[in-house]
Amino acid sequence: MIYIIDHKDSFTHNVVHQFENFDDVTCHNYNEINENKLNKSKVIVFSPGPGAPKNYPISSGVYKKFKGKKKIIGICLGFQQILHCEKGEIIEQKKIYHGYQSKIKVTSDNSLFKNNREFNVGRYHSLKLKEPFAAKNFEITMRCAISNVAMAIENNKEKIYGFQFHPESFLTENGNLLIKKILSA
Amino acid sequence: MTKINYLKEIAESKKPFIIYKTKKGFDLFTDFSKKVILTNKNIQSFINKISKNKLRRKTTDLFIGFFGYEILNNLIGVKIKKQKGLKFPKGIFYKPETKIKLANKLNYKSSKLIKSNKIFKVNLNKNSYEDIFNKFKKKIKSGETYQIKICTKYKNNSKIDALDFFCRLTKSNMAPEAFMIKDKYYSIISCSPENLINKKNDIITTKPIAGTLKKTKKLNKIKALAFFKKNIKESKEHNMIVDMERSDLSRICEAGSVKILKKKIVEEYKDLYHYVSLIGGKLKNNISSLDIIKAMMPGGSVIGCPKISTLNLLNAQEKESRNIYTGSFGYIKYNGDMRFNIIIRSILNYKNNSEISVASGVVIDSNAKHEFNENYIKAKALIDLYK
Repeated sequence: MIYIIDHKDSFTHNVVHQFENFDDVTCHNYNEINENKLNKSKVIVFSPGPGAPKNYPISSGVYKKFKGKKKIIGICLGFQQILHCEKGEIIEQKKIYHGYQSKIKVTSDNSLFKNNREFNVGRYHSLKLKEPFAAKNFEITMRCAISNVAMAIENNKEKIYGFQFHPESFLTENGNLLIKKILSA
Repeated sequence: MTKINYLKEIAESKKPFIIYKTKKGFDLFTDFSKKVILTNKNIQSFINKISKNKLRRKTTDLFIGFFGYEILNNLIGVKIKKQKGLKFPKGIFYKPETKIKLANKLNYKSSKLIKSNKIFKVNLNKNSYEDIFNKFKKKIKSGETYQIKICTKYKNNSKIDALDFFCRLTKSNMAPEAFMIKDKYYSIISCSPENLINKKNDIITTKPIAGTLKKTKKLNKIKALAFFKKNIKESKEHNMIVDMERSDLSRICEAGSVKILKKKIVEEYKDLYHYVSLIGGKLKNNISSLDIIKAMMPGGSVIGCPKISTLNLLNAQEKESRNIYTGSFGYIKYNGDMRFNIIIRSILNYKNNSEISVASGVVIDSNAKHEFNENYIKAKALIDLYK
């Protein structure tokens, strides 16, 4: 079972439907977590949401508790939540992307995805990761083809994955495939 | 009794009545046997009870009316502090016993001449609009909202002939979700273009509008589409609404069933082009009318995104009740089918006070002056009815 933690976003149920392609999904608000179901889940997903990761200490607590014990996936705010917990700094960016389709690129040979592959994705983010960023076992594996902003992280050792863009958006090409690959990793 | 005279007769009879646009013409509902005034306490049981009524296989097996903005917030757990305003009911529904089909051309002339006051006061001037605008822009930069709609309200004190207003409005601005309500102490006249819920059996669709272009002689449908596609701001706003409505539908629909049925097309109306999408899905088993209403209302395209956080920002800002504005009008049938619009482009006249609310969106690249003027243009079609 996949447990999705909803940060009260208006895209979360797209995420739920996308993951339901592959497994049973339970989804609750971040402030109404069902501990029992969370413990039983195989995968935890941090949803997109408004604001910044520091506004969601409960989600940070969940991350720290289950890191290395379950597969963890973060989307948009969820991606930033993981980085925030790994001592990354999340900052405002000059150019803001809301409802924006843009090209991104796989930038690492260690990625589950083929290096140098380019594809279109949907983006909804005000904030971004400040670089340089370094954390043990983590690698930035995708970037915006134009601005070079970090678009994905992978930690294949502890099975932690995050996307700054929205795989569930209708603006993203092959979003289902992306999730399928991560879930079977 | 011919149908043309019918409008005159019903206006003179002083009976409450409702008119709602259909595909080919209008439906008129009257002879109300029940009238339910909604409160935060009774709304859930009211909605739940509708499907428990005995089916009599009549076209009047339904409740028709509206939900105001505040009651819809309350329904999804978003609280609003006490606001100023008209003290108008939060929602009213009627059980009609008569339904009459009317042709697309409504003919009615008021027998008495009612002179309505033309002068309106606006509750936000350009400067205070700009202040709010800049405040919300900061909230976009910090990621608390991605898109938010600032509401301005035009008000005056005026007696109106609601039916006369509605007939003239449908001539100047025919809209697919147009409706009017005439009751003793209030009337609503609306040329809403936007359908929020169309539910038949287990299929539900929603048809958000994001993007409006005024018609000119040089424009046609193809050029309008090219304009919307080229305009990055309009495209981004539209994309956001499409993903948000997909998500709202996904709450109540079977996994994998939510589809964009019409993606970013242009629809042509008398004076405008709208950039619209049609999104639909197959409802899960055991989804109630209340579940549907809570998932879809208040309609996202007129609020902003993400819905909850944006509603909280709006409610902290707005000192005055929105009343019907950005609520929903429509009906729920005894068999569970329903149709609801989003209440925009509407006049509320209550105890001879008129209000017209309009809103336009703040996204990161919008301009305060442009949006303030846009608001006025939206209100003007309605203000022009006063003469």
